[in-house]
This record gives sequence, C-alpha cells and structure tokens, in this order.
Amino acid sequence: MGKRVAICAVSQIKMDSDYWYMRFQNMLLPCLESIVEQTGVTFDLEKGIRDIITNSDDVFDARTISNNGVTDVVGAHFRGEEKMAQEGINGLGYAMASILSGHDDVILFMGHCKESQTENRLMNTNLAFDPFYTRPLGLDFLNASAFQAREYMKKSGVTDEHLAKVVVRSRKNAKKNPNAIESKQVTLKEVMKSPLLADPIRQLHQWPVTDWAFGMLLCCEERAKEFTDNPVWLTGFGNCMDSFFLGDKDLTSNFSLKKASERAYKMAGIKDPKRDFDVVELKDLFAYQLPMWAEGVGIVDENKGGEWIDGDGPDKQNVNLSGGMLSGSPLLLGGVARTIECVLQLRGEAGKRQVKGAKRAIAQGTYGAAGQHQAVVILEK
Amino acid sequence: MKQEFDKTDCFTMNGKLALPYTYFAGRVGSTFITTIRDQKKIMGVRCDKCSKVFIPPRQTCEKCFSDIRENWVDLQNTGVVTNFTVVRYDGKHLPRKAPFVLALVKLDGADTPFVHILEGIEPEKVEVGMRVEAVFAKETTNTILDIDHFAPVKERVQVIERPTSPEKPGKAALSKDEMERLERRKAMSNKVIITAALSGAATMKNQNPNVPYTPQDFAEEAAKCFKAGAAMVHVHAREDGGMATHEHARIKTTHDAIKDKTPELIVNLSSAVGMGKTAEQRISQIVHVKPEMASLNTNTMNFSIVERKSGKIFLDYVFENTFTMLQDFGKAMEENGVKPEIECYDMGGLDNTLIIMNQGFFTTPMNFNFVWGVAGGQAFRPDAFIAMKNALPPHANFTTCGVGTDEFPCITLSCMLGGHMRVGLEDNIRTPKGDLAKGSFELVEWAVRIAEIFGRVPATPDEAREIMGLRKR
Repeated sequence: MGKRVAICAVSQIKMDSDYWYMRFQNMLLPCLESIVEQTGVTFDLEKGIRDIITNSDDVFDARTISNNGVTDVVGAHFRGEEKMAQEGINGLGYAMASILSGHDDVILFMGHCKESQTENRLMNTNLAFDPFYTRPLGLDFLNASAFQAREYMKKSGVTDEHLAKVVVRSRKNAKKNPNAIESKQVTLKEVMKSPLLADPIRQLHQWPVTDWAFGMLLCCEERAKEFTDNPVWLTGFGNCMDSFFLGDKDLTSNFSLKKASERAYKMAGIKDPKRDFDVVELKDLFAYQLPMWAEGVGIVDENKGGEWIDGDGPDKQNVNLSGGMLSGSPLLLGGVARTIECVLQLRGEAGKRQVKGAKRAIAQGTYGAAGQHQAVVILEK
Repeated sequence: MKQEFDKTDCFTMNGKLALPYTYFAGRVGSTFITTIRDQKKIMGVRCDKCSKVFIPPRQTCEKCFSDIRENWVDLQNTGVVTNFTVVRYDGKHLPRKAPFVLALVKLDGADTPFVHILEGIEPEKVEVGMRVEAVFAKETTNTILDIDHFAPVKERVQVIERPTSPEKPGKAALSKDEMERLERRKAMSNKVIITAALSGAATMKNQNPNVPYTPQDFAEEAAKCFKAGAAMVHVHAREDGGMATHEHARIKTTHDAIKDKTPELIVNLSSAVGMGKTAEQRISQIVHVKPEMASLNTNTMNFSIVERKSGKIFLDYVFENTFTMLQDFGKAMEENGVKPEIECYDMGGLDNTLIIMNQGFFTTPMNFNFVWGVAGGQAFRPDAFIAMKNALPPHANFTTCGVGTDEFPCITLSCMLGGHMRVGLEDNIRTPKGDLAKGSFELVEWAVRIAEIFGRVPATPDEAREIMGLRKR
C-alpha cells in the first residue's frame, strides 16, 4: 500500500446516559464546529468538503432514512452524502476506499446515536433477527451473546471473577477519561453480586445505555498538511461477516475477527500483533468480550483469556485504557469510539491515560449477534 | 467541548411506532413452517457436498453455494441441548415473561443446532447435553413458534405411527459420520456379504453329518466357510449331544473358538437360540457374549415342522416375539454394541420393525434378513421379496435366506437386487445338485458362483463391517 489516509481531526461530545433534551442535530453540530475549528476546512466545492459519510440507524432513531434529518447540519446540501447504517467503524473503511480510489481527497465522517430514547434498546436489536426463525423467539444481542459467553468462558478458562475484574478495571480507567459515561466505582464483590440478566451475563457486565455523537475529518496523504500538523495515519482496515444463524457457526472460533484482523494486518504490514501495538481498543459490549476479542485480534494466545486477565495482560498491553465499551458508547458507534480513543492517544492528547510515545494502535468494532460482523482498523503516528 | 443546555420547558413526545407487516417466508421457509404446522414434523435441508444437514432450512449451502432447496430430510422431534441461557429480563420482543430458558437444540438428524424455548424444567436444572423434544402449538402462528417450545424427554415406551410410508421411503436424517459411512458403503456396492448359518437349532447330524455340535466343530467349519468366501457366520451353539443351548459358558466357548481360529470373521449369534427358551434366556446370553451381531426376531408366528406335500404336522410350535421383546432385545443389543440382524419372516415382521424403529434406538444402517420357507412364515416369491425390499427404511441393508429348496432362488434374487446372501446347513442341507452338502462351506462356494454371475465380489469381513455399520473392534 503506497498511499496513506490521514485522520486530520476528531471531535465528540461527552457520552451521556440520557440526552433527552438534545435532538441528534444538536449533538452533531458542536462536533462539526469543532472539526472546522481544528482544521480550517471549508465546504468550498473546489478545495473543501464535497463528500460526507454519516453514520446512524433508522431503528435507533425511530424514523426512516435517519440521515435525512442530518443533511443540513453536516453540510451535505449539493454534496455527496452516504450513510453507514451499520457499526460506524465500517464508515472508516468506506472513507479510506473513497480516498485511496481517488473518488475524493477529503471526507467528513459524522455519526450519532441515542440509545436512551427507545423503550428497550434490546428490542431494537431483536429486529436484527429474521422474522421467521429467530425474531419470534425473542433473540436480541444480549441473550445471543449469553450463548457465546457460556462457551467462550468454558473454552478459555474465564470465570465470573475474571469478568468482575474486567468491569472493575473499566470503571477505574474511565475515571481518567473525560468523555466516558460517568458511573460509580464498583468492587469485585458488587459485580459478582449484580443480578444475572442472561446467564452467565450479569447486569454490570453489560455496556451502559449511551447517547453520543462524533465527527472526523479524513484526507489523502498529499493534502494532510493543509488541515493538521499532527495527522494520524489509517494504514489498515479489514472486516468480515460470520454466519447468521447462531447454530451454523462455532460461537467461540472468532472466525470473522481473525479474518478481519488478517486483512488489516496484511494491509498495514503488522507482523506480530502481540508486540506491534502501543494501544489497543476493543469493543467489549459485555465483559467476556474483552478477553475474547483480545484472542481474536491475536494479542493474546488462543484459549488463554483467563490467564491473560490474571496476569494483568490488559494493563501490560494498554488495552481499553479509556474504559472501553463498558464505560460508554452506543452499540452502533462502538468501533468509532474505540478509533477516536486511539487517535487521541497517537496525537498525545489522551490526558491522564496517555501512553507515552504511542506509535501504533488497533481499534476493533463488532455488530450483529454474538460478534457476527467484525472490523478492525490500524492507526499509526 | 462545552455542552451547556437550558433544560427548562423542554418538551418530549412519545412515539408509538408499530409496523404490522406480512412477511413471505420464501418457498423453502413455507415448506418448513407448513410441515411443522400440518404434520408436526420438523425438516432440514442437506448439503450432499458438505454432508451437512441445516436447520433452519435454506435454499443455498453457505459453505459451497450448492442449491440445496430440494434436499429435504426429516428430522426427529427430539434432540439434545448444546447451549442455553436463562433470560431474566422482560421486554416486549420476548415471547415469555422472565425468567425463561432459551436453548440451542440439536435435533436428532441435524448437524446444526437452532434456538428455541425450553420449558417444563426449572431453569437451574437445565444442563448441556440433556435430551429434549418438541411440543407443538395447538394453533398455528405461521412462525417457528408452531413448535411452541421444547421440553425434557420423558422416559416412556410407546408405539407411534411411523413417519414415512413404505411405498415411498423418505430420506432419513443422518449425522455427518453416518453420511461419510454411507458414502463408503456406496463405493462398495458391488461387494456381497455372504453369511454361513452353520447349524441352526434344528438341523441334526442324522440329516447331514457335517452339522457342527462342539466348539471345535464350529471353529473348523467356520474357518472353511471363511476360506470359501463368507464374511460372517451365524451360530446357534449346541451341546455335545446336539441340543441347542442357552448356557452362557457353552455359547461363549463356541463363539471364542470360532474367533480364535479365524479372528477376522464376524460372528452373528442367534437370539432365538432354540425352541422353548424364555425371553431372558434368549437375550441374556447375547449381553453376556456381546458378539458383533445377533439376530433380532420381529413377529410372533408359527414355527413348525410340517410336511409340505401332505400337510402333515410333525411339530407345532409358536415362536414368540412380541413388540416388547422386539423393543427390549433391540435396545439391549444396541446398548451393548451388538448390531441387530433383523429377521423378517414376512411383511408383518418388517412392518413391526418400522413401527418400533420410531423409538429411535436403532443405529443406522439397519440390517434386515428376509427369511423364506419357514412353516408359519411365507414361502419365497420374487414379488413378495421385491415388495419387502421396497418397504425398507432408508439406507437399510438386506440379506436373505430360504429353507430347503428356497435357499438358492432367494439368494439369487437378492444378489440381483443388490442385497446380500445367507446359506448354510441351518437352512438347507443340500447343494443345488441335490447332494448332501459337505458342510456349510460348500454352500458358500455355490453362493460365490452366483455372485460371480452377477459381477459381484464377496465382501471381506472388514468390508462387511463397513457396509453393515458394525462398530470397530
């Protein structure tokens, strides 16, 4: 890969459990203004933004063509505007393809999601299942993940206590992250006593209800200096989809994540994922997913998730210093939130959680039932 | 970024988005759902190339992209829990109030589990590996909920209607291993298994002096038969004086003598033993000796000695084989790794088996023997033979034997139709020329000649094991 794609700026609003008093347009506007302020980018049709990718979901917005409501606030009139209706991390892959193919030099990427306003966000995920065989049974992303959790924990020696450690650590780390959801510190005991939601997943093992919006400016290598002195390079992207029906796939094989990683690593020239990353951000919707995805991207040996937690692997390898998904982000935007955290780290703007001299990072996103879809991006300083 | 908002007088309104909609299930989905609804039967589709049975069904194999929409297979309504979760939260999308159990259930005959509700058990007692069965909805929902839920299988013995009609045998659902075995069997379709029935219970030395009585006799005769081309011997052990015996020690000594001299041979013991034996005497020796194979009789019938020409009755005897015995003997054999050779003396015996097999304990492939010419059973007729062959369950093997002059006509037809052959002094004491046979081995030699005429090759014992699905020893 000869050419690189630059991330020139990122912006976000603080994650919150209930922005009932803000319309999603309100959430996006400060993100856009921040991007303009940071980069000086314009909407000039010759030199400025001509193509915009938005990320939102009809079901979470309870309307059709959810991007229709944001066209004006993201400056998309008379411009190209495309919507990523899936895990936002794929918007980065799409932006990358647009730039590397020469479709455009500069891409504005904006997204929003409010999980707080639906009566039950799990009900939204029930719609991801087919109407004949699985939706009537009430499958959602929580109970489908519970099947995976049971098998994975058995396979990798992960216990209820390990999961509690993951949750306690997430909240501790999130204290240093001003953008994370504010939640109280918990003890191992509290986590282990929190009610079971879908065995073996407990209430405190689950990602918190989150409303959030973000902005990002990407451009081709040649023009990066017009917008920033501190670019972060998007050097690898890969994604993959596993089988739809839970019974068709090996729930613990990490098939799609391994494939996605393989592709991204090849593109970015990653040889040894255990050593090559200074920062790792994984989309742990549920506590068991932190070690499981760590195995999937290859920073932990297969079946060693339990030992990894015991040996403080997450700290040693700088995994989810932000608090991760367990400290906030809407389901739809989790992979982008992880990416933005990596960008802040590589730019040296991660405040109290800054990893000194961070040069290379990986962010992962997943969507669908029990990690069906997986995507990863590689970012470099 | 600063986010300071004045929240006074902020107004919210409640949306009530509901979207009643009619979804077409597709042709494959329609067949699946309507079969559950109308026949209380669950079907999957099989990819022949990948040897995988999928449920829910689909039109195309996700692995190899073969079109599999026509490859319907019947699955059992029973299966095993491979994974589960207890849903302890409520939601409008959930089909039950919390707590309730969602389980991954792998139906018998399927290769992929699918999700369903599990009821009739405390959530705390659910275990991976437990057996469950489908409970069908009283009224259709036109969804997967036409199976209302699964419940633990209750231990029971009951006779249920068989799912496939004998005129049109459906494809039985097979596991991947079974399918691979089937493929290997197909590759051996020109192999013919010749069985030598060395003695029976009734043929005596005064009829043919070569009938074996002692373990030594049996061992020598079996070795000759093996050399002549037999892959299996069928044995009723005798006392030194020639009486058929149910004594465990004598039967085991006879069995072992044969195996010691010719380790390759398959020994098939009789579970009929001889006249006047109790059910316990008949099955306990099988469980004791655990031969690779044993006969399993399917019908209570007259089993008499009657002179054909005059109609004069020499000995009248009722051979008792009730449904319960068919069930209990069959289960005992399968549980002890003894493959049943299912003896059918007429279509009734075959029909009995087709009913009992719905209990699901018979392993695939099933092996049948059509027996002709017993006084009390039916005489050999080619059309009756073909009718029985056509009534066999999917993937079954068949062999045949006939009493007296029925022997060679029936094995010839079997050989022509792709079946196997049994000869021996138990059934017939003479060669086709009318001479007293020098032993069962001479009759085996004749069977080999018949096979040659039809271009078939005698199977080795190991090939016979493969074909009949015997466990590896």
